[in-house]
Amino acid sequence: MASVALEVRGLVARYGERTILDGVDLTVHRHEIRVILGGSGCGKSTLLKHCIGLNLPAAGTVRLLGAALEQLEGPARDALLIRTGVLFQNGALLGSLTVGENVALPLQEHTSLPAELIAELVRLKLAQVEMSHAEHLLPSEISGGMRKRAALARAMALDPEILFCDEPSAGLDPLTSAELDALLLRLRDRFGMAIVVVTHELASIEIISDRVTMLAAGKVLADGPLAEVRASSLPEIQAFFRRIAAGEMRREPSAWELLGGGGES
Amino acid sequence: MARELDWQVSGDEGRRTLAVAGVVDRAHTPRLAEQLLALLPGHGARLTLDLSQVEALDGSAVALLVHAWRESTRSGGQLVIGAASEAARRSLTLYRTREDPPAPPPPPGFLEGLGDLALSLPVAARDLAQLAADTTFALGRALGRPTRRRLGAAIEQAYHIGYRALPIVALICFLVGLTLAFQSAYQLQQFGAAIFVANLTAISVIREMGPLMTAILVAGRSGSAIAAEVATMKVAEEVDALQVMGLDAIEYLAVPRLLAILVTVPVLTVGADLVGVLGGFIVGTFYLDISPIAYLNQTLDSLGPKDLLTGLTKSVVFAWGIGLIGLYYGFRVRGGAAEVGRMTTASVVAAIFFIIVADCLFSVLFYIVL
Repeated sequence: MASVALEVRGLVARYGERTILDGVDLTVHRHEIRVILGGSGCGKSTLLKHCIGLNLPAAGTVRLLGAALEQLEGPARDALLIRTGVLFQNGALLGSLTVGENVALPLQEHTSLPAELIAELVRLKLAQVEMSHAEHLLPSEISGGMRKRAALARAMALDPEILFCDEPSAGLDPLTSAELDALLLRLRDRFGMAIVVVTHELASIEIISDRVTMLAAGKVLADGPLAEVRASSLPEIQAFFRRIAAGEMRREPSAWELLGGGGES
Repeated sequence: MARELDWQVSGDEGRRTLAVAGVVDRAHTPRLAEQLLALLPGHGARLTLDLSQVEALDGSAVALLVHAWRESTRSGGQLVIGAASEAARRSLTLYRTREDPPAPPPPPGFLEGLGDLALSLPVAARDLAQLAADTTFALGRALGRPTRRRLGAAIEQAYHIGYRALPIVALICFLVGLTLAFQSAYQLQQFGAAIFVANLTAISVIREMGPLMTAILVAGRSGSAIAAEVATMKVAEEVDALQVMGLDAIEYLAVPRLLAILVTVPVLTVGADLVGVLGGFIVGTFYLDISPIAYLNQTLDSLGPKDLLTGLTKSVVFAWGIGLIGLYYGFRVRGGAAEVGRMTTASVVAAIFFIIVADCLFSVLFYIVL
């Protein structure tokens, strides 16, 4: 089994005239949790969409689990995507199905397991994210954090080889968030799952990340273990980790300064 | 290379051992399931699983083992793991489960559904009446002191509800006028009364078909749009956001739409009346060879102001009903995307039902009273 799970080379992404990603390289190995960092609007989510084939690159290549996703079609493409799990930012549970039915859906479609085994497996997957009690509720009847956990159970329904998580802990309480981190670590350790996490939560990054990739303005600013990236002297990186406000970093004058307040009259 | 799934059964009845080897993943679990479920220990019996040769065990295999354990425990048997490889242990410890999973809620029975429906009807009627009152007051207030922003919103809605609907309303009503004239011409010619095609077409288009067809088209085009838009806003918590910004959802969403629909539907109806009569005129002059002047005179003679008034009164009531029903179903939505679709469908069905019933009542009322 090849050890590289995801390989992105020179990825360029455009929405119309705007270039979102400009030559991004990213290599994620199995048995690795990769955290993608960056401020809002730096292209994190766009990168994720390209990795799972929702968007096609304007230039560059994406190889997912050893195959070039954009060159595949039909069943071959589906077969590759089945081996991939995705946790969307808002969960993206289907509103007309209960939580349990949402998790069962990929199992019913892609396996020949008998119904009672699917039911059992759904319960196991929901128990993993502490959602057993919500199996028969509709997504609209549970909270945002619970929706996210249920969505994670759905993403893991088919035991994927690579898991993409878009802001998994945003909107979760610290306890649930810690549970989630522990679960991601278990999945990595026991199954050698490759996990790509887009997140802002510094606390969680410290616990889970093997390597981090920092994006800024569509380019990779830094790539390496957290300690190494943190030690970088680049002002953007320092600002990110020390939580310096963007306005202060750009040295924009306040209205007071603009109007010459405090200066000589 | 991973080893294919393989198994061996040994031991006597009641004290069997099932030794599993190789990779058990979701492609192979169904095969193992057949074997394992056939071997399930009955009362007092025991089945020992030997997993020491298992190379990998995925979620589906864990589900199978848990399911088999539940089944055998229920029938008083014992299912235990004798030995397990590291891989099997890893998978089995990854998942947690309870001895008694929560049962699904029973599906509502027929009587229960009937009861729910009966209980929900008065609530629905009250909500609709409440909305009708709220919108009427808000409409009155808005007309009392119009602001530029509300007016802009109303004009934009009027453009979508009225102007954009013009071509399709005109085409449909032209064809209805044409059809009416053809159908009646065939009958009236037998009595040598072909000229009365003009009366029949004019009266039925202006009193009946013009308002009715226009209202049905607007219900399909705009009533549904109002319901879907408001419902989507409601689902996305936009309605709540308006509320906490101190903006009244009724005033902000309902008033411009109701105002627009109340103004444009009567105007559309007048347009529909004209092209409907034109349809009859074309049949009369080209097919029945009635002179254009004679046809027009006959048409004008047959019509009184009360005919137009009847039609327009109807169209205003229809417009009010379409708008209100669209808003009602939009605001009523709970939940997600599927509910938005259901409510939109329900709003169109309810609006068309309302139009037909109201039309029937009005037609009877106007012929008796006027």
